[in-house]
Amino acid sequence: MGNVLVWMVWFLAAGACLGSGIAVVSLNNPFYSALALIGNLASLAVLYLLLAAEFLAAAQVLVYGGAVMVMFLFVIAYLGGRADAPWAGGSPVLQTAAVVAACALLVEVVVVLGLAWGDDLRDPAEVSDSFGSPAAIGELFLTDHLLAFEITSIVLLVAAVGGVVLGTTRERAADVGAGHGRPLQRRSDEERR
Amino acid sequence: MSGPGVGWYLIVAAMLFGIGSLGVMLRRSPLIVLLSLEIMLNGGNLALIAFARQLGNLDGQIFALTVMAVAAAEVAIGLGLIVAMARRDMTLDVDQASVLRG
Amino acid sequence: MIAGAWICLLAPLGGALAITLTGPWISRRTAGWISTLTTFLAFTGALVAFLGLWSRDTEEREQLSTAYTWLAAGDFQVGLEILVDPLAVAMMLVVSGVGGLIVWYSMGYMAGDDEERRYFAYMSLFVFSMLLLVQAGNFLLLLVGWGLVGLASYLLIGFWHKRPEAVAAAKKAFVMNAIGDATFVLAIVLLVWNTGTLELPGVFGEVDGLSETTVNLVALGLLGGAVAKSAQIPLHTWLPDAMEGPTPVSALIHAATMVTAGVYLLVRTHPIFEAAPDIQSLAAILGTVTLLVAGLVALVQWDIKRVIAYSTMSQIGYMFLGAGIGAYGFAIFHLMTHAFFKALLFLAAGVVIHHLGGEQDIRRMSGLKAALPRTHVAFLIGTVALVGLPPFAGFWSKDAILASALETGGALGWTLFIAGLAGVLLTGAYAFRLYFTVFQGSSQEAAQPTHAHEAHGEGPLSMLVPVGVLAVLSTIGGLFSIPGVWHPFTHWIEETGEPLVEATAGQDYLTSAIAVALGIVGLLLARGAFLRGSQLVTPPSAWRVFEHKFYFDELYDALFYRPAAALASALRRNVEEPVIERSLDEIGSGTIFASGELARVQTGLLRTYALSIAFAVCVLVVVFVAVR
Repeated sequence: MGNVLVWMVWFLAAGACLGSGIAVVSLNNPFYSALALIGNLASLAVLYLLLAAEFLAAAQVLVYGGAVMVMFLFVIAYLGGRADAPWAGGSPVLQTAAVVAACALLVEVVVVLGLAWGDDLRDPAEVSDSFGSPAAIGELFLTDHLLAFEITSIVLLVAAVGGVVLGTTRERAADVGAGHGRPLQRRSDEERR
Repeated sequence: MSGPGVGWYLIVAAMLFGIGSLGVMLRRSPLIVLLSLEIMLNGGNLALIAFARQLGNLDGQIFALTVMAVAAAEVAIGLGLIVAMARRDMTLDVDQASVLRG
Repeated sequence: MIAGAWICLLAPLGGALAITLTGPWISRRTAGWISTLTTFLAFTGALVAFLGLWSRDTEEREQLSTAYTWLAAGDFQVGLEILVDPLAVAMMLVVSGVGGLIVWYSMGYMAGDDEERRYFAYMSLFVFSMLLLVQAGNFLLLLVGWGLVGLASYLLIGFWHKRPEAVAAAKKAFVMNAIGDATFVLAIVLLVWNTGTLELPGVFGEVDGLSETTVNLVALGLLGGAVAKSAQIPLHTWLPDAMEGPTPVSALIHAATMVTAGVYLLVRTHPIFEAAPDIQSLAAILGTVTLLVAGLVALVQWDIKRVIAYSTMSQIGYMFLGAGIGAYGFAIFHLMTHAFFKALLFLAAGVVIHHLGGEQDIRRMSGLKAALPRTHVAFLIGTVALVGLPPFAGFWSKDAILASALETGGALGWTLFIAGLAGVLLTGAYAFRLYFTVFQGSSQEAAQPTHAHEAHGEGPLSMLVPVGVLAVLSTIGGLFSIPGVWHPFTHWIEETGEPLVEATAGQDYLTSAIAVALGIVGLLLARGAFLRGSQLVTPPSAWRVFEHKFYFDELYDALFYRPAAALASALRRNVEEPVIERSLDEIGSGTIFASGELARVQTGLLRTYALSIAFAVCVLVVVFVAVR
């Protein structure tokens, strides 16, 4: 009985995941794409829970859904109409090649999985209840993977600084125009191409 | 473990990765490209966590957590770039931004 | 005694080095004196060596002296070693003696030339090289001397390097000698390979142990070198052209010494030739053919030096004949007497040329008897000695060789004998043709000497004294071997090489009688033609053939030069220009093209980069899976 429930939840979550993924990639309105991504992240969190990764599921929702997506939505709001995203365009060769590459990748992975399905992927290990708990993760972070922990924090610091730099230095130049662009700037951009 | 085996999760992860790569290669708006990147990263995360469960080793989850942090940082920078592009009234089209200079 | 030999070898080298190093700071006459005196010093050293050797018993007359060992590899050793034995000493005396006289003569002949110092440096270099050649105690040193005389010859033939004919002649001489050098080197390689040593006595001791093919090949190689160096057929065409050099050079190198190096080699390596009798007979045959051909060609030459050059070729043919049948002593004896009278002829001709301000065409010379009385006598002595009339030098030596040919008997012996006698007839004819044309008859108006030379008569002392000395030697020099009476010279040489044939006194006298008769017949023919005012060779076809030197030059040109030149220009057209030169351009433009194509990868489009990454990942996955 519990098994059936798990399978059902799994199918629902997986379906939502893939569906929202396709939505993200194919919708024209970026706002809708962002919302679809939020759905994607949520269903992924469910899948993580099924894989005994509770802390990660929580982190996914909080960090990705709560912070990253909010950032996305802010920017989309700032951009307004300019954020409208046309579909592909460009050379058809490029497009077919892209599709081919993605399919090839998928096929390869499926093949590998198929080859390993019988033996390597048979029985998952027995895990305790504390597998994936915050305590376990925290312990690992502060002992075995301390270096990764510290470096990640540095990366985040650098990203924050970079964000500020990208934001502020253009401020003085942006003050001149009225936001509709400076003909000078535009021409120089086009000249450069 | 009840429910689907690890292999199923891996298939989902692979499909997510494929969808994300299609988005990166086929869409012209940098915003959508970033979003697709996120999907690819999430696919990778799912695979990591699935293997962590399979092998009973938490290292996979640690890795996935780190990936999450780095993805967040990367998104921040990417959005900063898009905002900078918008501020200079450049068309938000990756095909146009082909000069690749400062 | 050994010290004498070393002094003989090194004095001219010292002279050459002294002149070279102090060149700009010494006067031209000083250079001349340095060269002359060092050569005479060498002669003194040779004399000391000779006397020392003479005072010893016969068994001790072979001395090997090593200065230092240059190369030692296992059992194989080669060094700077000289061999002092009767043959070597005889050659040393001839080379340094006649050489000294000629260098002294050059002081007068070359006076006033711009580059006298270079000339004397080269002359001393040559004397050193020739002495090295005759004194060498091992084959390697002999080869060194061999090559150096070739070099000196090249330098001296092309001495007046602003004349294109001289340069061409020098190159021709060098290239033909190089062919001989190549065969010589091959022979030496075979010797080293099979005997393990290069020392002359050592090699000769091992000759019996060599296989027949090896010995034949070695002898053939040595013969090739000798033929090239001595200007015998087929490698003879360089000698007439070599007359482009100054007359003393012609006298020293191309009459008395260098061209006789081939004969020396044949006599020195006679053990090898005796083990390869066919090759030895070949040497005699080549010598005989050359003797006849050269004699015929000399009948139609107009250049005074060229007549004497062909005469040299012919006389060396006699020496080859002698060495080829095994009459070593007489071959070397003829070498010595020939050195005397041929150098005399050249130097006397040089006086004539000098007197006439450079004129060498005998059609423009006549009746010089009155203007140059002493030279006339000298020239006459030389001519008579050449033809072989008693009691002058040539008579004793040449007839001894012919008598040995008679003694050899068989088909070969008789053929050589008859041919040799025919050669005597030709010699008489061309030699006296030359004498009569130049010295007899009425003096021409056009041949009046320039005023500069009238001032000092026939020539300076430095030119006349050597001529005089050589004239004396040409008269009495043959008396070292009187058949049936005493043979000091040949006995001396025979210690080094036992002759294979010894003519009886009766054969000697018979041969001499016939030869003298033929010589006089030649004289009368020449005189008759001269008095008639015509030439000896009248049929135009014969004249043409002789004048073209039997078309050897044309043959070699067609056989060797034209194909080589055609090949070279074909290669240049088809390989050098399109492939190599163009390829350099292509490398440049190709690089530019390639980099342009490569730059097209950088599209600037984000999506193509992403695409390529995706493809790369696909490939890598396959690779990873396959590897596992």
